[in-house]
Amino acid sequence: MNLRKAITLFAVLLVSVVMLAACGGGDEEKESESASGAKTVKFMHLWPEGSSAQHYKVVNEIIADFEKENPDIKIDLEVLSNEQYKDKIKVLSTSDELPDVGMTWAAGYMEPYVKGNMYAPLDDIIESDLSDSFVSGTTEAFAVDGTTYGLPLELNISTIFYNKKIFDEYGLEEPQTLDELKEIVATLNENGVNPIALGNRDAWTGSMWYMYLANRLGGDEDVLTKAIEREGSFEDPALVQAADEVQKLVDEDSFVQGFNGLADEEAKSMFMGEQAAMYLIATWDLPNFTTNEDVPQEFRDSVGYFKFPTVDGKGDTNSYVGGPGVGLFVSENSDVKEEAKAFASYFVQQWGERAVTDVGIIPATKVNVDSLDLPQMYVDVLNDLNSATNITLYADVQMSADVAQVHLDMIQALFGGEITPEEFAKTQEDALAAE
Amino acid sequence: MRRIGYILLYVCLGLVAVFQIFPILWLFMFSLKTNQEIFAGNPFAFPTDPKWENYLKVFDGGIGTYFWNSIWITVVATVLTILVASMATFAITRMKWKMSGLVLGLIMVGLMIPIHSALIPLYNMFLNVNLIDNPLSIVITYVTYNLPITVMILLGFYTTIPREIEEAAIIDGSSIHRLFFRIILPISAPIMSTTVIINMIYNWNEFVFVNTFISSDKYKTLTVGIQNFIGQYMTDWGAIGATLVISVLPIIIAFLFFSDKIMEGITASAVKG
Amino acid sequence: MNKVMSNKWIIFLYTFPALLLIAVLIVVPLILSGYFGLMDWDGIGAMEFIGLDNYIAALQDSKFWESTLHSFLLALFSAISLIGYLAVALILASKIKGANLLRKIYLIPMLLSSVAIAQLWIKIYNPSNGMLNSILMWFGVDNPPAWLADPNIVLYAIFIPIIWQYAGFYILIYYAALKNIPESLIEAAKIDGATPLQIALKIKVPLIMNVFKVTIVLSIVGSLKYFDLIYVMTSGGPNGASEVMASYMYKLAFSSYDFGYGSAIGFLLLIITLIVTVVIQKLTKSKDEIQY
Repeated sequence: MNLRKAITLFAVLLVSVVMLAACGGGDEEKESESASGAKTVKFMHLWPEGSSAQHYKVVNEIIADFEKENPDIKIDLEVLSNEQYKDKIKVLSTSDELPDVGMTWAAGYMEPYVKGNMYAPLDDIIESDLSDSFVSGTTEAFAVDGTTYGLPLELNISTIFYNKKIFDEYGLEEPQTLDELKEIVATLNENGVNPIALGNRDAWTGSMWYMYLANRLGGDEDVLTKAIEREGSFEDPALVQAADEVQKLVDEDSFVQGFNGLADEEAKSMFMGEQAAMYLIATWDLPNFTTNEDVPQEFRDSVGYFKFPTVDGKGDTNSYVGGPGVGLFVSENSDVKEEAKAFASYFVQQWGERAVTDVGIIPATKVNVDSLDLPQMYVDVLNDLNSATNITLYADVQMSADVAQVHLDMIQALFGGEITPEEFAKTQEDALAAE
Repeated sequence: MRRIGYILLYVCLGLVAVFQIFPILWLFMFSLKTNQEIFAGNPFAFPTDPKWENYLKVFDGGIGTYFWNSIWITVVATVLTILVASMATFAITRMKWKMSGLVLGLIMVGLMIPIHSALIPLYNMFLNVNLIDNPLSIVITYVTYNLPITVMILLGFYTTIPREIEEAAIIDGSSIHRLFFRIILPISAPIMSTTVIINMIYNWNEFVFVNTFISSDKYKTLTVGIQNFIGQYMTDWGAIGATLVISVLPIIIAFLFFSDKIMEGITASAVKG
Repeated sequence: MNKVMSNKWIIFLYTFPALLLIAVLIVVPLILSGYFGLMDWDGIGAMEFIGLDNYIAALQDSKFWESTLHSFLLALFSAISLIGYLAVALILASKIKGANLLRKIYLIPMLLSSVAIAQLWIKIYNPSNGMLNSILMWFGVDNPPAWLADPNIVLYAIFIPIIWQYAGFYILIYYAALKNIPESLIEAAKIDGATPLQIALKIKVPLIMNVFKVTIVLSIVGSLKYFDLIYVMTSGGPNGASEVMASYMYKLAFSSYDFGYGSAIGFLLLIITLIVTVVIQKLTKSKDEIQY
């Protein structure tokens, strides 16, 4: 009987002690300085070992090298997957607890952090350590009011990848114009082949189609960017017409069935399973089409790509939709800001040298193509990048977060035929104007 | 006529059984497939070339620590939840006091809070008391957030316990503690087993709190092992399938055990009653 | 007797741990969330007090009301499905052959995490090579729907896995409740010549009515704050067609940097759930307590 009593009391005490300890223990020291005097820089990234083995390995090697060169600095690493990373950063920022160095996305994503004084300006290290090392235009995406707050790590452009085997079978050739693309779609549909894989549940995929059409129809003027930056209107004729073209493509069954309910990943797998002939995606997927051993060699050999075609004779095929993906930020309120900056700078330099060869991504830093042994597709893409006349940053990245949500919802509604092109343009114009 | 009825009943039951057992078989096949087969292939098909290496990948990912953390956090949180919930339910349903309705109402409010509303305030509180990146924060959060549902399930049963049992015990000179631990808890064993199963499943599969409150690898749980295979642009679904299979096995074993306890408990209480 | 059972110290001792935990880890965050709802705050840096603006905006926000409607539909379907689960539990708890095995099999899906269930149903609903459409086409349906893409269907399509996901949970509770009924009561009825159906409806169901009422509350409250599968399978899309209150709140607070507004929606969700619960309690209230 006393034992039972003891257990009850124990349970009550345990819970109370936990709560009391919790309430009273608030003033202990933070862990940024360990006993040996070494400083700890907390670093969070989103390339888990399981899915991004190469990224993960290279990051760890860079960290090891950095720690060797700077014995008084220790890097404390936390790795999360994409969505969890975003959620956690969000929670951390509410308590002003961002890691010393972490990953950020450009433009619209980072702006609130900059406005809230969470990110440290990085112009000083860009001008000293990293001068002239970035591809032009990449750091600008991480700048707010002329100050740069992020060091870009990757640069992607989107192109239409296609299955050469399927194209050969039906005597098709890379289209130069949208009309030619539509003919290809018609031929493929006649033969019961899915023309274009599209996973529009993640509406940024459909957004890339819309952006390209808008870009081509707008000619030299980047009407979409102007609309977003409020130098123009979203009801610009080119932007409305682009929406109209989207619906024509949908009406002609250009995209796989039920695309609005498919994730990008499912669409990608349809393309990689040779169940669809074409797939518009950015160059981050290059490893899947070249070096990834998990993908059958036969398929990798049959992938080609072409630039998004011109529309009604308008547009420049050397103008791309794309932009830098993630970049590094340094926390403004970090206790070890100087060390964090040193690490970020070191990381970007090392990353640039190793990203293409070891990881298979195109870094935002300049790469000397000739000195590297790369798959042909990489060489082609790098050359395309060099001759690019314009890269329009993904609309949902350019926009502030709540307008981006409106944009993505509208893209789904547009592709799903729920709204007219005019309504599509007006809703977004209103959202942009309301800001 | 009656016979036909039985046959029909069994056909229906059998069909439902096939439907209910299918997910586990599907998950197992899923874990042996490549991304291509998973997305583009026939979902009913067996993997053409079973990829057992998916399991190797999972073990290489250092699942051992996660596994152990999952087990002890689940066990501790489940035991504490059920103890605390049983005590509260006992006091609310069996003892006489004016505020019991109010207390029950407060506990029920706990059912209604969406976890994403609570996440940021909770993080902030744990941060202030230095419990971030401490498994204690996970355990007490699990206990608290499963308390309301556990109390609710226990409630329906506690109210059906005959008063005579208590009266007899008290007249025999038993203390309240003895009544609770020696009599009430044993006769509520079947429903406790039910709540054990439910708590176990919730704690075992939870990941939002773990991801938010824990940053060190040494404290993370199995659900984090799944995150390991989700990439920025590419996800290794076969390996996720393998992780899911590995993580569902202990819970199936525990379930089968406690599921039989529901029966045993009844027999035991029947003997006593 | 009464003196022992109303010992204040014992009552305090038995309820204190639960109350302390709930007060600190649920009630405080709840109040904070209501408080954040009064702020214009993107979750980063300083917040600005704006009074009830967020709450007023929410009441005028058609997306919020649409998601509320969806949540209520889910609650309705969940509550109705309880009758089916009760029927299954009645069969499993009766003395038919193989009931023990069947019960175990029936409860297996509830052991799976939402991640696994979401993947399973994504594969079932895939428009071109999904299991459901494969079967439909095999039966000669030419143009089976794209379940998760069609705004008219998606909401109901996604209800099915959600309701199915909880089948095991309720069957388990009913089963335990049914098994708790003293054998003597049923034997007595049998001697009086009652058929199995009569025993089920006239004796068993009334005896577990308390439990059934609890599950009604659980299913409705659970549905109103439901999030998991919606988030993984459709993210509330296409264009909000499957948005529910919790997913809308999450979107605002975590994707749109509108933490103040998101908190306000979260707080309204709670108020709505609270009102619904009180109404249900009033509706299902009965005076007589059942004891075996």
